[in-house]
Amino acid sequence: MSHPVHDIIRCSHVTVRYGARLALDDVSASIPCGTATAILGPNGAGKSTLLRTLLGWHNIENRGEIRIGETHAQHLLPRLAYLPQRHTIDWDFPITVRAVVAQGRYPSLRPWQRLRPSDHAAIERALGELGIHDLADRQIRMLSGGQQQRVFLARALAQGADIFLLDEPFAGLDLYATEELTHILRSWVAQGRTVLAAVHDLALARAHFSHGLLLNTQLVASGLIADVLTDTLIDDAFRGGRCLHDHANPLRSVTTTEFPS
Amino acid sequence: MSLHDFFIEPFTFEFMRRGLLSAILLSLSGGLLGCILVLRRLALMGDALSHSLLPGVAIAYALFGPSTSALFFGALLAGLLTAVGSALLSRLTRVKEDAAFGSLFIIFFALGVAVVSTLQSRVDLMHFLFGNILGVSSTDLQLAALASATTLAVFVVFYRPILLETFDPIFLRATGGRGGLVHVGILCLTVLNLIAALQAMGIVLSLGLFLLPAVTAYLWCDRLARMLVLSVILAITGSVLGILGSYHLGLASGASIVLSLGVFFLFSAVFSPRYGLGALLLQKLRAGKVVLRETP
Repeated sequence: MSHPVHDIIRCSHVTVRYGARLALDDVSASIPCGTATAILGPNGAGKSTLLRTLLGWHNIENRGEIRIGETHAQHLLPRLAYLPQRHTIDWDFPITVRAVVAQGRYPSLRPWQRLRPSDHAAIERALGELGIHDLADRQIRMLSGGQQQRVFLARALAQGADIFLLDEPFAGLDLYATEELTHILRSWVAQGRTVLAAVHDLALARAHFSHGLLLNTQLVASGLIADVLTDTLIDDAFRGGRCLHDHANPLRSVTTTEFPS
Repeated sequence: MSLHDFFIEPFTFEFMRRGLLSAILLSLSGGLLGCILVLRRLALMGDALSHSLLPGVAIAYALFGPSTSALFFGALLAGLLTAVGSALLSRLTRVKEDAAFGSLFIIFFALGVAVVSTLQSRVDLMHFLFGNILGVSSTDLQLAALASATTLAVFVVFYRPILLETFDPIFLRATGGRGGLVHVGILCLTVLNLIAALQAMGIVLSLGLFLLPAVTAYLWCDRLARMLVLSVILAITGSVLGILGSYHLGLASGASIVLSLGVFFLFSAVFSPRYGLGALLLQKLRAGKVVLRETP
């Protein structure tokens, strides 16, 4: 039995600029509660920008706004957890797995306040849920790619968030780690959490996400993943609907090839 | 020479005691700040920044004399101008951040040298550039105490925001933290400490007291808190040895301190059990990637 799903995140007319370059152009979209939504699009389409705008990182121009539940995004930061792109992290940083997960508790503490017993419990729970309890005292370089990913997922959990924003979580993961991550995300959605991820791989998105949001600076399509990832729409987003062969050989490339017999 | 002659006798002099105290105070804050600079990959930036302070210091000196607060604000202004100017240049033109910073700081440094050369007083350029720990006055000592206490207090109270801003600034901002404030705060503390170290170490060498202990500790520690503590201990040890070396061998004090810290660093870079060159070579040997001699 299905019931109308309510939208947890609603963007209306979101426009973001980097200097002179338009990164997001009048994007309006809604993310339904308790689903896994993939943000798709070519490089520079504004996938990461959209995630960071949700976190209040970029200023929205003019009349655009983002609402989470019924309130503006800035008021609900603790509900949002953000998973950074792998390459933005310095893996040589002198820090242990447990200390990274503990960072999830910092936003709810004053800067100088000691961790309370409830915080320690939340940290242990997050370590346990992601199966990295045994690795807790390791420096983060001494983990596999999949384990490193789980450390940051555990930090998001420890934060007590219910909306998870993931920036290219599958980048640089091997087959096994990818499988593991989709499994974790699936179980989170089953528990009513909302997952929003920038994803590069269309096949992966099709297989593991229920909803999609196709961007090319402007919104190309959003909705159920099957409705978003049609041939026409993908072509629209990735090539702007143009076909190389329509023009009179714009690259002046050699089109005939001879094979020696 | 007896141990007493080596360690105690130099400090029977008032100016040696003052120099020692000043060095220890600066080591406390320099060791802490250095770790953040190293981890944020701002080591070279810090060096450039310290050079760019010279015109601020020199102009403040020309206008107000050796007033500590004037020197501080002059240097802060020069430092901020360099930092903000290079940020603007790199954002608005095609010039990249490192080139912008490099160009601005050398212009500022030249301006500083020019201003110092016009000063008609006993102050000479060498003093600004390399300092003299034996000429530390009680005002200098007060400034060092102020810089040290402020830095220590900020690190104790705001350890977590500083950790987050260094490790994962996006996370800090995403959870409502004031990342920009932490960043500017670190910058101001760095300038404050550079000014405080001006008399003892000079503009060119003072950053050595910040960076060398930190990068040495980085080779030994896997936890930030331990790295901070070790860095401070190394800074203090290095300064004391440096001052003693300077006294007994007649070396310039700043250079002597930086050199003894440099010995720690080079030793660690080779012999650190996990991250040193020796450990690396041993690992490769065990893995069979480097073969010294073929066994018959």
